[in-house]
Amino acid sequence: MQLTYTPEQQAFRAEVRAWMETHVPKEPLITLECREGYDQHVAWERTLASGNWGMVTWPEAFGGRRLDLIQWLIFEEEYFRAGGPNRANQNGIFLLGPTIMEFGTEEQKARFLPPMARGEVIWAQAWSEPGAGSDMAAISSKAVRDGDHYVITGQKTWSSRAAFADWGFGMFRTDPESKRHKGLTFILFDLNSPGITRRPIRQLHGDTGFAELFFDEVRVPVENCLAGEGEGWNVAMATAGFERGLMLRSPGRFQATAKRLVELYRQHEAEASPTAREAVTQAWMAAQAYAYNTYAVAAKIMAGGKIGAEASLNKIFWSELDRAMHRTAMQLLGAHAELKRFDDGSINAWLEGYIFSLSGPIYAGSNEVQRNITAERLLGLPRVGAG
Amino acid sequence: MDMLFTDDQLALAETVRDYLAGTHGPEVLRRLDVDGNRDPAIWQGLVDMGLTGLLIPEDQGGLGMGLADAALIAVECGRACLAEPLVETAFVAVPWLVAQGRTSELAAILAGTTKPELSHAINPWVADGTGAALTSVDPLRNLTAAPAERSDDPLLLNLGALMSAAQLVGLADAMLAQAVEYAKIRTQFGQPIGAFQGLKHQLASCAVAIEFAKPVLWRAAQALADGLDSAAVHVSHAKVAATDAAQLTSETAIQVHGAMGYTYEVDLHFWMKRSWALSGAWGSRAFHLRRVDAAVLGGSHPVGPEHTFA
Repeated sequence: MQLTYTPEQQAFRAEVRAWMETHVPKEPLITLECREGYDQHVAWERTLASGNWGMVTWPEAFGGRRLDLIQWLIFEEEYFRAGGPNRANQNGIFLLGPTIMEFGTEEQKARFLPPMARGEVIWAQAWSEPGAGSDMAAISSKAVRDGDHYVITGQKTWSSRAAFADWGFGMFRTDPESKRHKGLTFILFDLNSPGITRRPIRQLHGDTGFAELFFDEVRVPVENCLAGEGEGWNVAMATAGFERGLMLRSPGRFQATAKRLVELYRQHEAEASPTAREAVTQAWMAAQAYAYNTYAVAAKIMAGGKIGAEASLNKIFWSELDRAMHRTAMQLLGAHAELKRFDDGSINAWLEGYIFSLSGPIYAGSNEVQRNITAERLLGLPRVGAG
Repeated sequence: MDMLFTDDQLALAETVRDYLAGTHGPEVLRRLDVDGNRDPAIWQGLVDMGLTGLLIPEDQGGLGMGLADAALIAVECGRACLAEPLVETAFVAVPWLVAQGRTSELAAILAGTTKPELSHAINPWVADGTGAALTSVDPLRNLTAAPAERSDDPLLLNLGALMSAAQLVGLADAMLAQAVEYAKIRTQFGQPIGAFQGLKHQLASCAVAIEFAKPVLWRAAQALADGLDSAAVHVSHAKVAATDAAQLTSETAIQVHGAMGYTYEVDLHFWMKRSWALSGAWGSRAFHLRRVDAAVLGGSHPVGPEHTFA
C-alpha cells in the first residue's frame, strides 16, 4: 500500500491541469439534452480530441494515450476540478469502445474506434424495449438474416443520446425460436438508416435526452454484428459490467459535487439545520470513500484482478450518493431551489442536477436489480423469479 | 500510488482468520462467558503466532510491520469477536510506546507477559485494567474504572479509534455472514427467507456499507502510518464509516434472525454487543463526525477531486 503519487504522476497531473485550464469552456455549456446544447457538447468532444484527451485509456492506434488506470483517475480528477462538461460520447468511451476492443474484429476496431475517438461519430445505446427494461432478456426486436444483411424490425426505448446521435448499438433477436438470453445478437447500426424513426422522449424537465427508436425493415450489413450471431447476451453482460463498474462514474464527478455542496453550505450556514450540516459532511465522506474504493479497484485490476458483481455495489453507492448530495443542496436552497435561474441569471445547476440524480438509481440497471445481484451473486442468497 | 495489500499481507491475515475460526468459535465465547472471560491458553496462542510483536521493530525482536498490516489483522479479531486484548495491547499500546521511544516494555509485551493499561481522557473506563470493575453490555469486555490521571495524547486516541474501526468492520462482516447463513436455512412460506427481496435488499445494503467502509479504513491506517497532518481526519472518517456499517448490519442481522435473534441461543448477540461497545469506544460517532466536520466545513482540510489523498 503506497498512497503517494510518483513524480511522473504529479507531472502528468500538472500537464492535464494546464490543458484543462486553457481549454475548458469558462461558461457552463447548455444542457446536452437539447439540439443547441448537444452541438456544444459535440464541439467540446472535438476540442478534447484535438488535444488527444478524448479516449485517454485507449491504445494509441485507436486515438488514445494508453493511460493506466491511476493516470485515468488523475485525468478525471483534473477534468472535474476544471469543471469539464458532461461527455456527449459517454456511450462510446465507456461502453461500446471497450466492448469493441474485447469482442470486435481487427476490421471493426479500425473502422469504428478512431472516428469515435475523434468525436466524429457519437453513439447512442439501444438496450431497453417497451417490454424489456430491467428484464433485458425479454428483448423481442428481431433481426432476420437476408443474404449479407440483417433486416431489423421492432422498437427500442430510453435510448440515451439517440435524439441527436449518429450511430447506435443494441441487442436483437436473430433466432426467432429462441427464448430469454439465447438467440440474441449485438448489432451496430447507422441511426440515419432508411426505416429508422426516432421519436425524442420529452423528459420531466421538458428537455429531450433520450428517444424511442422504431425499426421498420431496416437493412444492416452483417459485418456490423459484434462477436457473432447469438453471442449478444455475453457481449451485453460485459458491456453492462463496464458501465456499472469502474468507468461509468469516476469519483472526480462526485468529489466536485461535494466541494460545491460545502461551498453552498457556507453560504447558507446561518439558516441551515444541524441535519443539513451532517449531510454535507457525510457527502464529503462518501465521495472520498468512493474515490478510495475506485483507487483500490484500479490497483486490483492493474495487478491482474477482475471486477464482477462488485460493480453492483459501486452503482448502488454512487447513484444514491449523488441523489443525497443534490437533495441536501435543494434543502439548503430553500425557496430558491425551485428557480430555474437565480436572480443573477445563472442556471440553477442544483435543480438540474437533482432531477438528473433521480435517474441514477434507475438507469444502467435499477438499484433494485443491483441489490438482487448483490444478494444472489456476492452473498449467495437463493435466486428466485428471473431465470 | 498503489492502494493494494500484497499477497503476503493478505496471506498473514488469512492465517489469523483461519486460526481464530478454528480455535475461537462461538462455543469458546460461550465458555468464556461462563468461566471468567480470559483464557491464558488463547492468549498464548496469539503470542506464539508472533502477533504481540507485529508492530514491534525488528531490532527489538518484533516483526516490524505497519499500521495497515495491523488494521488488516484487527479486522480479523473483530470477525472472530476475539475476547483477549490483543488489539489494544499490540496495535494500540505498542505503536504509541514506540512513538514515544518507550521501548523498555516491548520485550515483555512481545513475550506476552505484559498488557499495558491504556487510560485516555476520551474513555470513561480502562479495558482490561486492574481498578474497580465496571460492567459492560459486552460480557467479554473487562472494564475497570478510569484512574484520575489519564493521557490526552492525540496519537493514542487516533490509534485507539483506528483499531476500533478495524474491529467494527470485521464485526460487521461477521454479522452479515451470520444473517446470510440464517436466511439460507430458515424456511417460511415454503422457501428460504433469503429468497425474499425484502431481506435480500436489506442485506445488500449492509454489503454496500461494509464495502465502502473498508477503503476508508485502509486510507486512515496508511495516513497514520505516514504521519500525515490530516491523519486525524481520516481516522475519524474511518471510525464514523465503520460505526455506521456495524450499526446498520447489527440491526439488519437481528431483524433477519427474527425472534431467534433475540435469544441468547443464537450467537449473533456476542458480535452485536461488541459492536455497540466499540462504536462508542475511543471517541463516539459524534466526536469523530465533529472532527471531520471541523476540518472539512471549517476549511482546514482541502476539498475537491484533486485532493483525494490530501
